[in-house]
Amino acid sequence: MLEHALNLGAYLFCIGIFGLITSRNMVRALMCLELLFNVVNINLVTFSNYFDTEQLKGEIFSIFVIVIAAAEAAIGLAIVLAIHRNRGSTRIDQLDLLKW
Amino acid sequence: MIKSTESLHEILFLFLEVGLILGSLGVVILTNIVYSAFFLALVFVCISLLYLLLNADFVATAQILIYVGAINILIVFAVMLINKPQSFNFFPSWTTGDGITCAACTGLFFLLITTISDTSWSEIYLVTQSNNIVEQDLGGNIQRIGYLLLTEFLLPFELLSIILLVALIGAITVARREKILEMRVKSQALQAKEDFPTS
Repeated sequence: MLEHALNLGAYLFCIGIFGLITSRNMVRALMCLELLFNVVNINLVTFSNYFDTEQLKGEIFSIFVIVIAAAEAAIGLAIVLAIHRNRGSTRIDQLDLLKW
Repeated sequence: MIKSTESLHEILFLFLEVGLILGSLGVVILTNIVYSAFFLALVFVCISLLYLLLNADFVATAQILIYVGAINILIVFAVMLINKPQSFNFFPSWTTGDGITCAACTGLFFLLITTISDTSWSEIYLVTQSNNIVEQDLGGNIQRIGYLLLTEFLLPFELLSIILLVALIGAITVARREKILEMRVKSQALQAKEDFPTS
């Protein structure tokens, strides 16, 4: 069952990366990013369950990852809202203000 | 008895796996972003049940509370505030870049599967079991996590609270309306005209 859970994590990770790279909408990119964070948490909790039952270091680290993902989602969506207010669209390929 | 619990775990794991596979495909592929947001909620709930299967009850509860209860609602709010015209097809059209990315991600997936199956997990299990000296018995899951958070992981815990404070202030500052600043600039311009009237 350990390998089963890790294979599931690998599949979700690849889907998350595919969604993050090919999404044309900023909010969908942030949703795929949250999916990636969750896959990392699945791996951490799986390893903590099978290898570290006394100290549960994997679960504590996954709590940290959850908190940081929450903070990053809040700030990312605030930036998306500000961009939408200023430019009127949320297409990722129109964000080229920093290009030379 | 142990066998039946094992097979029950396997059956539940298969259900959750199907839910996760379909949910993640729905997040990535569907055109309508509101459907994507709800499929993401399904993915979060399935992951939380997976944590329950892996004996991590505190992380499962935190996942439901934080991800489904806060982050997903934040995403749905953002989707609602960003009005887009509806496109009528369910699945978007594929470009060449999408095909290349799909091939690369499939290659990455097979590489990961091969690596996972080639690793000898039983050896790692034996090594970690020999390294673990018997710790004091602290009872359940939550007591152990609480104890470790306040003794060994105290500094990251306090830094996390500072990060949350900074994120809160930052998100409010970035996303608030600009009218207050504009009104202040206009009133200052009017003040300057009154003080130094041009004749």
